[in-house]
Amino acid sequence: MQTSRARLFKEYKEVQREKGADPDIQLVCDDSNIFKWTALIKGPSDTPFEGGVFQLAFAIPEQYPLQPPQVRFLTKIFHPNVHFKTGEICLDILKNAWSPAWTLQSVCRAIIALMAHPEPDSPLNCDSGNLLRSGDIRGYQSMARMYTRLAAMPKKG
Amino acid sequence: MDHDEEEEEEDEADFYSGGDSDSDHLDLAGEPDSDVSDDARHQQNYSVLGEEDILQRQEDDIIRVSNVLSISKVSAGILLRHYNWNVSKVHDEWFANEEKVRGAVGLLEELLVEFPNDNEITCGICFESYPCDRIYGAACGHLFCQACWAGFMSTAIIDGPGCLMLRCPDPSCTAAVGQDMIDKLASDEDKKKYNRYFIRSYIEDNKKTKWCPAPGCDYAIEFIVGSGYYDVICRCSHSFCWNCTEEAHRPVDCDTVARWTLKNSAESENMNWILANSKPCPKCKRPIEKNQGCMHITCTPPCKYEFCWLCLGPWSVHGERTGGFYACNRYETAKQDGVFNEAEKRRETAKNSLERYTHYYERWATNQSSRQKALADLQQMQTVHLEKLSDIQCQPESQLKFIIDAWQQIAECRRVLKWTYAYGFYIPEQEHAKRLFFEYLQGEAESGLERLHQCAEKELQRYLTATALSKEFNEFRTKLAGLTSVTRNYFENLVRALENGLSDVSSRSACSRSGSSRSLRGKGSSSRGERSKVTFAALRSIGRSSSINDSGHWSCRHCTFANNNSVTVCQICRQRQ
Ligand SMILES: [Zn+2]
Ligand SMILES: [Zn+2]
Ligand SMILES: [Zn+2]
Ligand SMILES: [Zn+2]
Ligand SMILES: [Zn+2]
Ligand SMILES: [Zn+2]
Ligand SMILES: [Zn+2]
Repeated sequence: MQTSRARLFKEYKEVQREKGADPDIQLVCDDSNIFKWTALIKGPSDTPFEGGVFQLAFAIPEQYPLQPPQVRFLTKIFHPNVHFKTGEICLDILKNAWSPAWTLQSVCRAIIALMAHPEPDSPLNCDSGNLLRSGDIRGYQSMARMYTRLAAMPKKG
Repeated sequence: MDHDEEEEEEDEADFYSGGDSDSDHLDLAGEPDSDVSDDARHQQNYSVLGEEDILQRQEDDIIRVSNVLSISKVSAGILLRHYNWNVSKVHDEWFANEEKVRGAVGLLEELLVEFPNDNEITCGICFESYPCDRIYGAACGHLFCQACWAGFMSTAIIDGPGCLMLRCPDPSCTAAVGQDMIDKLASDEDKKKYNRYFIRSYIEDNKKTKWCPAPGCDYAIEFIVGSGYYDVICRCSHSFCWNCTEEAHRPVDCDTVARWTLKNSAESENMNWILANSKPCPKCKRPIEKNQGCMHITCTPPCKYEFCWLCLGPWSVHGERTGGFYACNRYETAKQDGVFNEAEKRRETAKNSLERYTHYYERWATNQSSRQKALADLQQMQTVHLEKLSDIQCQPESQLKFIIDAWQQIAECRRVLKWTYAYGFYIPEQEHAKRLFFEYLQGEAESGLERLHQCAEKELQRYLTATALSKEFNEFRTKLAGLTSVTRNYFENLVRALENGLSDVSSRSACSRSGSSRSLRGKGSSSRGERSKVTFAALRSIGRSSSINDSGHWSCRHCTFANNNSVTVCQICRQRQ
């Protein structure tokens, strides 16, 4: 508990100092609970998520960083490795491939990489996975783009 | 005197198992290997390892690899674990492509990152700063503090034996973290657990070794793979099949045991209702009970076949054509043109097949419980009765070993007999001659064992309750020891005959001369073929004529005991020569 708090505080200070260093990621610690964080990440360019801003919620266990944080999308996203309803993410580094040397910042980077490189063979969203597996790239992209527009872009006027 | 008698008994035993005095034996005369294969059978093809032996072997293997490859013992341990403790595989792979092996296993030759020159170094996990003598890294040079290492190791060790393949915490790094690091940085409790996994891995990941499956037993068995029969006896006295780790099950093979066990568990729930109101599933033939009014029956998983109770036809074809799903007029049609009788006949078959199963199962289970009883009796004999008997009959306990032998033999025979019922269940219906012969052999085995069991139980009772030394005790000894040896040989031969698939049975009915049967015995290696011949010579001599042979013995026609020529009445069963 003490170790995880100390480590999270270090990450917090690093985030403050490096503010704006990575324009794609904006990590925010909860005002009252250092074990709750949110992040805003930008959809990577040349993907159907380009132009969208996606919100992530972090729940950090007491054993952090020996145990990985729990991360889910708060913003709806159409992606084979993200559960469409719950926002749960299937990503190896958040499970058995976790290393205590990862940080919340590097987790965000890994999620951005996952958005650009979906793994249709371990789908949490079967519709999305099936489109990719059947080779219907255009179908996948138009669905994903539609949801990006609906859920991840600021409403106009 | 006693000593002489014991020697004589051994002679008799040899005589019986090796030499069959009737004409069949002549057939064997030209085949010198029969004795050799017999010896090989008795030679142990496994060894029991205690913890000391395991540690010693593991250490030996590690030192060997460490010397041959000129690497540290820790590295050798990591390598061996990676290749499932197969020393020659490690050598082969290493010398074929050392670089590749190093990469796969994570044995680095040089630092990936230079050791920083600063006084204060930041730990890669907690991001705190430490003086350079209080921060540690594996061969790669990625540095973490003691507390973070200990936490990292502890997490991996809690997760299980995967901790033996631990890698550096840096996400981009594959450097192996070996036992030396664990010893230096983990908590004492974690070190202990890690060592436990390390030793267990030597047994569990090694293709040649397995733990004894008896509850609470810590011995392991090393088996010479490919050396023949799988039955092994642990030092804890549990006997089991090394291959499938079920209890020892010669003469049936592992597949039959698995099938039989599966069948028993599938049938056990059904045994009660089955006869009353069931039909066989048209697809998988398992009996299906109709417990609801609906005619739409779905067989239990994995089959899940859907059919109609009335006509046993597939449910999918029911509908418009049959007058709706719930009004099957195929039943009526079928009854009219006699197809219905087919269905009834099938139901009859299922009932018969169940009765058949019940027959074998009951006898299998009975022998199982008899065996348990015999083992309990043996225990009782060793702990209580033997000492008493020794006092009453003024015999040293070592001279009473023949009683223990007898009870051990009884337990072993019950085990074999039990499995012959699974064997019998799977003899195909159409192999009539084989079935008959099998049942004959089984019947003989059963009555032989009964004889031994009676003698060891009832007749011994007299001497246990006697108040004074009995004159007949030595006769009793001869009889019980003789019966034990006769029964042992019969069962050993029976086991081998069944393992050979009773392959002689066709030739037996086809030819009168056993010599010509050789060509008909197709399968198996030549030594197995020869062994089966010994078997049959021996088996056939049972229940046949008594005969005199040149070594000065005659074998009793009734119980097959090899009597000395100086007597004319069988020493065992009192029948005349
Ligand atoms: Zn640290
Ligand atoms: Zn490293
Ligand atoms: Zn054991
Ligand atoms: Zn087996
Ligand atoms: Zn079925
Ligand atoms: Zn029907
Ligand atoms: Zn006799």
